[in-house]
Amino acid sequence: MAKGEIVIIDVNCRGCGFCQLFCPKDCITITGDRFSPLGYLLPTFTNQDQCNACGICAWMCPHLAIDVYRYAGKGAAKS
Amino acid sequence: MQNRTLIQGNVAVGWGALNAGCDGFFGYPITPQNEIPEWFASEFPKRGRVFVQTQSETGAIMMLYGGAAAGFRVMTSTSSPGWGLIQEGMSHLATAELPCVIVLVQRGGPGQGSIRHAQMDYLAVTRTGGGGGYKNIVLAPATVQEIHDMMQLSFHLADKYSNPVILLSDGVLGLVAETLEIRTLQFEPLPEKTWAARGRDRQGDKTRRFIHTYPSGAPPPRSCPNYVSWLGHLGEKYQDIIDNEVRCEEYLCDDAELVVVAYGYPSRVCKEAINTARAEGMRVGLTRPITLWPFPYETLRKKVNHGCRFLVVEDSLGQMIEDVHLAVQGRTSIDFIGLLDRHLPTDGGMILPGRVLQEIRRLA
Amino acid sequence: MTRETQNKVKVTALDRILFMPVPGCPGCQHGTIGRIIAEVLEELELDGTAIEVIGIGCNSGVAMLNVDVVQGSHGGAPDTATAIKRLSPDSFVYTVQGDGDCIAIGAGSFIGALTRGELITIIMCNNANYGTTGGQLAPTTLSGQVTTTTPEGRNPAVSGHPVHVAELAATFKSVAYSARGALTSPAEYRRTKKYVKKAFQKQLDKIGLGYVEILSACPANWHLTPVDSIKWMEEHMIPEFPLGEFKDSDGKRNLPRDKQE
Repeated sequence: MAKGEIVIIDVNCRGCGFCQLFCPKDCITITGDRFSPLGYLLPTFTNQDQCNACGICAWMCPHLAIDVYRYAGKGAAKS
Repeated sequence: MQNRTLIQGNVAVGWGALNAGCDGFFGYPITPQNEIPEWFASEFPKRGRVFVQTQSETGAIMMLYGGAAAGFRVMTSTSSPGWGLIQEGMSHLATAELPCVIVLVQRGGPGQGSIRHAQMDYLAVTRTGGGGGYKNIVLAPATVQEIHDMMQLSFHLADKYSNPVILLSDGVLGLVAETLEIRTLQFEPLPEKTWAARGRDRQGDKTRRFIHTYPSGAPPPRSCPNYVSWLGHLGEKYQDIIDNEVRCEEYLCDDAELVVVAYGYPSRVCKEAINTARAEGMRVGLTRPITLWPFPYETLRKKVNHGCRFLVVEDSLGQMIEDVHLAVQGRTSIDFIGLLDRHLPTDGGMILPGRVLQEIRRLA
Repeated sequence: MTRETQNKVKVTALDRILFMPVPGCPGCQHGTIGRIIAEVLEELELDGTAIEVIGIGCNSGVAMLNVDVVQGSHGGAPDTATAIKRLSPDSFVYTVQGDGDCIAIGAGSFIGALTRGELITIIMCNNANYGTTGGQLAPTTLSGQVTTTTPEGRNPAVSGHPVHVAELAATFKSVAYSARGALTSPAEYRRTKKYVKKAFQKQLDKIGLGYVEILSACPANWHLTPVDSIKWMEEHMIPEFPLGEFKDSDGKRNLPRDKQE
C-alpha cells in the first residue's frame, strides 16, 4: 500500500530523467509519450503502490518539478 | 577635538565623512592618498564603524556595492591608477543605482605617471570609464575646508539621486594643511531606503529585495517594466541632476573681459594672479567649476554673450578645456595654460601665479 | 479514487523559500544546489535575515530563492558579501558562485575574503566549465576535457591542471570550514547538505569563513545526457576532486573530520 504520492509539475519539468534514475522503488518512468508545454519528455508516476514518499525524487529534481505527499495516518484529523 | 584646527586635506576627508554619517570605509593603499585609509583605520573601529583594507581597488568598489545595497553610507578613496581598476564596479553601481562616494586624489599619469599632484583624470572622471555611458556627479574642492564640507554634500547627493558621487582632489590639496572648522552641515531630509537589502522579513512589506545590474531581467527595485524604459528613466535622472545640481564660483566676473576657468589647486593660483592683475587695472575674473559633472556650461555661455574671452588653466595637457569649448562653441577665443607651463619640468613642478599673470597681461 | 480523499502532507514543501524554478538546461543541477540551500535556510530559520550574494553565470539561477539577493560583478561576490556582513553582522550572508566566477576572475576577491576570515559562507558550484557563455575552459576543467576553448581537450602544458579550491581554502588559518560535496546520488545530496549546514553554522557561531564546493552536472556543455553526466562525474570528476571535509575548526583547534566512506 503506497505511503504517499508524487505530483509532477509539467511546466517546470525538463525531462532530465533524474527522478527515474534515483527513485529507489522505480516508481517513475519516462514513457516517451507525454510532452511538457516546452516539448520535454515528461515522466509518469507508474508503480504507484511502491511509493514510500521518501522525497528523493524531489531532492534530485533540479527543476523543482516534483511535489511529494505523504499520506497522514487513517485517523488523522482532517485539517 | 576643538572645531578649528590645522588639518591636512586628506585627513579632512575623514572628518567630513564622519560628520556625514559614513558607516563604512573600504580602501587600498596608493600614494598620494594613504593618509585617508590610515585615518579611517585609527578613527572608525573605535566608533563602531567599519574599516576594511581590501586586496585591491577592484575589491573596494564591489564592497561599496554591497554596503550600499544593504542601505549604508559607504565610501572609498584612491588615486589615478586605482581609478582604472574600479571602472567595472562604477558601471554596476550606476545600473543598480546605488549611492556611494569615491574620493579620487589625482596624481600624475598615465600609468604610474608620478606620485605627485596633477589634474589628468578630468575626462576619465567626467566621461566615466566603465561600459554603458552612465554618469557620476563630480565635485571639485579647492581648499581643505571644501574637502571636509563637500564630503558631506557628496553623501547627501549620492543618497538624493541614488548614484555614485566622486570627490576629485589632487596631490596638492591632499597633502597641504590648512585651518579647518569641523562642523556638521544640515541637508534636506531624504526618504528611507526601503529598496535596500536588509533581509526579507526585516522589510516592511516582508517581500524580498533583488538588487542587480541586469535591468532587462527582473525589474530593479525602481520597477521599470523593461530595458529601454529603464534607460529612459536613467536619462531623466541625469537630466534632473543637470537641471538642479550645477555648482560654480564666480570671482570678480561681473565686469570681466577675460575669464579664467580653473578648478582645484590651480584655481587658487589663478585668484592670486587675478588679484594682482586687477590691481594693475585689468578686468579679469575667475569662473571655478565646483561640479565638474554636471558642468556649468550656461555660466560660461552667459560670459560669451558679454563678449568675454577665456583662459583655461589646468594641470594637464588640456582636458577641462574640451568642456569650455562645448560651452563657448567657437564664439570667442580660448587660451590655455597647462602642465607644460609648470615652474619645473619635473613631477614636482607646479603652475604658479607668476606664469598665469604673465598670460593674463598678454591677453588682457 | 481514494487518493483525493486521503489527507496528505507535502513532504518536500519549501514554499516559503523556493518559488521559482531555475531556468537552467535539462539536468543542470544549480537548481538542486538552490534546493539544498533552501532546506538548510529553512531548518536554521535563516531565510528571513539571509542576504544571498550571487555571482554572474549559470550560478545566477540560484537567485531563485525567496531571500534578499544582491548580484554585483562577475567574481566580486566575496567583496560584496564582506561589506554587507561587516555593516550588518546580524544578517546571514553567503555567496553562491560558479568555478570561473570564484577562482578565475574572482580569485583576488576569494583569497581576500579567506585571508581576512570574513564571517560569510562561500558556495562554489563546480561544473568544470563556463556554462552561460557556452562551455569554455574553467580553472576546474579536467585534463583532457574538451571545451569550446580547449577543442583538443585541456592540455596541462598549455592551460594548466584543474584547481583544487577546497584543499586551498583549508590552508587558510582564518578559514573555519572547507568541504567538497557532489550531487551524484541521494547519499551525496544528504552529505552535501550536511556540509552546507556545518558551513552555515560556522557563520552563526562567529567562528570563521565557511567554504563548500559542490560538483554539479552541466549536461548541455558536457555534451552528455543528464543521466550520463552523473556517470561522468562519478568516473572523472570525483577522482580529480575528492569529496569530504578538508577543514573543520572551532576557531581554536582543528576538529576531527568526517571520514568520507
